[in-house]
Amino acid sequence: MLNADRGKPQALRDAAVDRGSLARGGGQSRWNVPRVLSSVLVAVTFVLLSFGALVTTYEAAMAVPDWPGTYGHNMFLFPLAEWLGGPWDLFLEHGHRLLGATAGLVAIALAVSAWLWPVGPRVRWLAVAAVVLVVVQGVLGGARVLLDDTTVAKVHACTGPLFFAVTVALAVLTRRPAGVDQPSAAFSLAATLPVAAYGQLVAGAQLRHLDPATTPPVFHALVGTHILIGLVVAALAYAIAAATWRSVNRAAHRWSAAAAGLVSAQLLLGGATWVAKYGLPSAVLPDAWRLSEAIVARSGSAAVIVTAHAILGMLILAVGVVVAIAAAGRGVTAADAKPGVRRTAAGLREALV
Amino acid sequence: MSTSSKSSRRPCLIAAILAGLIATGCSPTPPAAFRLNMVEAISPTAEKDSIAAEQALTTEQQRQVATILAAMFGTPDEPVCLPEAGLDGSKLQLAAGPVRSDIVGRKNGLYREHCVHCHGITGDGLGPTAAFLNPYPRDYRPGVFKFKSTERADKPTHGDLVHVLHNGIAGTSMPSFALLSPTQVDALVEYVKYLSIRGETELALMRYYFELDDEDEGKLPETREFLVDEILQPIADKWASAADAVIDVPEPPADLDLAASVAKGKELFYGDRANCVKCHGVTGLGDGQANDYDDWSKNIVKIEAKLASLAGNELEPAEHRWIADFHDVLDGDALQPRTIPPRNLRKGIYRGGRRPLDLYYRIHAGINGAPMPAAAGTVSPEEIWHIVNYVRSLPYDFDGELGVDRSMAVQSNVAGALAAQETSDQ
Repeated sequence: MLNADRGKPQALRDAAVDRGSLARGGGQSRWNVPRVLSSVLVAVTFVLLSFGALVTTYEAAMAVPDWPGTYGHNMFLFPLAEWLGGPWDLFLEHGHRLLGATAGLVAIALAVSAWLWPVGPRVRWLAVAAVVLVVVQGVLGGARVLLDDTTVAKVHACTGPLFFAVTVALAVLTRRPAGVDQPSAAFSLAATLPVAAYGQLVAGAQLRHLDPATTPPVFHALVGTHILIGLVVAALAYAIAAATWRSVNRAAHRWSAAAAGLVSAQLLLGGATWVAKYGLPSAVLPDAWRLSEAIVARSGSAAVIVTAHAILGMLILAVGVVVAIAAAGRGVTAADAKPGVRRTAAGLREALV
Repeated sequence: MSTSSKSSRRPCLIAAILAGLIATGCSPTPPAAFRLNMVEAISPTAEKDSIAAEQALTTEQQRQVATILAAMFGTPDEPVCLPEAGLDGSKLQLAAGPVRSDIVGRKNGLYREHCVHCHGITGDGLGPTAAFLNPYPRDYRPGVFKFKSTERADKPTHGDLVHVLHNGIAGTSMPSFALLSPTQVDALVEYVKYLSIRGETELALMRYYFELDDEDEGKLPETREFLVDEILQPIADKWASAADAVIDVPEPPADLDLAASVAKGKELFYGDRANCVKCHGVTGLGDGQANDYDDWSKNIVKIEAKLASLAGNELEPAEHRWIADFHDVLDGDALQPRTIPPRNLRKGIYRGGRRPLDLYYRIHAGINGAPMPAAAGTVSPEEIWHIVNYVRSLPYDFDGELGVDRSMAVQSNVAGALAAQETSDQ
């Protein structure tokens, strides 16, 4: 047991063990494989999802008509020169597939390591869930290509962020515990943030993968829903940041402030995305607001804005997961608990006791 | 793994995924399909506008139109191109169908990628985003286009449509597609023409029902002579002859300085012959007569007027059905009509292009489908150039010039327009 754990309630100490003080590998090694693999998995998944967002932006999903192969080649044996030197669409789609396969392999390795290292049942089963999700996601990606179906594309777009959220949770939960567990009063509020952020990604997927036969009233409803959930996410992020502003739980404070910042940027990006795709919504704006120049379709800047909006949405989900876990008092590091950083009276009193 | 075992597993995989999607409440997206022009199908006609119930096409007639159109034009995924339509099938293939690309990166399904979200699968201007946009996206089906180099009633040339795609339409949501390759733009223009010819054929078929004799039993003849020679060919001929209808633009008067030309243009602007002031207003702010509709909205307005005329009457059951049909159409097959405001000429935003030549075309031929009339019959080509110069000066016309315009309007015997405007202001 770490020194910092002394004097804490038994339940919290148990929880710390359950989370995994792992790396000690039963006290034999400080090499924490699940922690390393989970961090790698988050990084790979982030790049994977970014490629996925670009695939959607450039409508490159059908750049490769077959699956699981690529133009008749085994996916892993597709000529490198054709991939890197070929068309942009092919680069994106094939890269997305390779990254997906990589994420799958890392997820499997993580799951195996979670059963070999003493990480506790929560991490183990979460790692198994990650493997299941990445396999399902891979099959959905294949189905999206083989069926060329918008509905499958939407489901594929919704499963990706869910997998990302699980990888982030794994990365947080496998971190070395510092022995400081300060459950935040804002936990119940914080737990709603990833749920709302995920709901917003689901709503966004309906717009990103819009069925062209959608009628204007249905599109109107979809846009309204997306804006409404966006405002809910923003309100939640600001409320959580306010609630944890003076908390001794520095991780919750820091990550919720990050979430509020990201959400603010996302609101601006959301507006910019609309303008980049459709120009100003002239039907709901005064006549004087008309752009004097036509916007340029498929410009690089428009692609960056639209893709960044999708990626930032996924980052907000990830940060939301971290906020929720941090607010629950889980995964707080020693650095988070350094005294004297920003102490409240309650925090100081606790430290003095 | 052998290819055969792979292919034998694939249907099982697809079936499993479909079953999973259906089990979770998600249904696969149905194939893209063209929609019938329901506004036209229920529109009152000049011949039969006294009995509402007789103006709607029956379900059977609507089905016949859909069948004929499918035979002549195929589907959005597999367009058919009859030789008489004068369209290039290879270009259509590039633009039609779902978005996909081949190993050399050539994109297919260009219309679905770039246009469909606003203009809709059928080209009816009823894409998902349509209601958010002002003006609404163009409905190609009547074959009427605003910004072109041809006489008012003529079709645009291929180059005119390329020009619109390349430059976009300033002041609207129509973007510039300057980043697409010329081949892609060509393919999109060809597909727009395809949707227009298809839409015009549909309109012609629907209107023909009202010319049938009793012995036809309410059915159109399904013969090549009728469908191709009588219906399609005249439409295709108009498109093919567009290049012959390009407006002959004389050089601007060389012996007149700009200030003098602007002054002459101003006189014409406020004068009785060109009478631009009537709509663009004495200030040039587009604040003249503004209660008119464009041609795309007029059918709906006409139906609404018909509906209003039926209010309070004792209605037949068939008339009740017609009213219900109309409300169905408004819910899914039409957008709420908006009046079309005359252009504010002081903002310097010219939708059809800002070149003097573009303005010359607009003034000479008017704007097809919009209330803007052709000036060609009432003013000379030289005078059109003067108006062009005056219009181009308006965005830079500051310092109380509006007041001068107002007094000039009175002097120019357009007091009626001014009074009407003041009344509407009140």
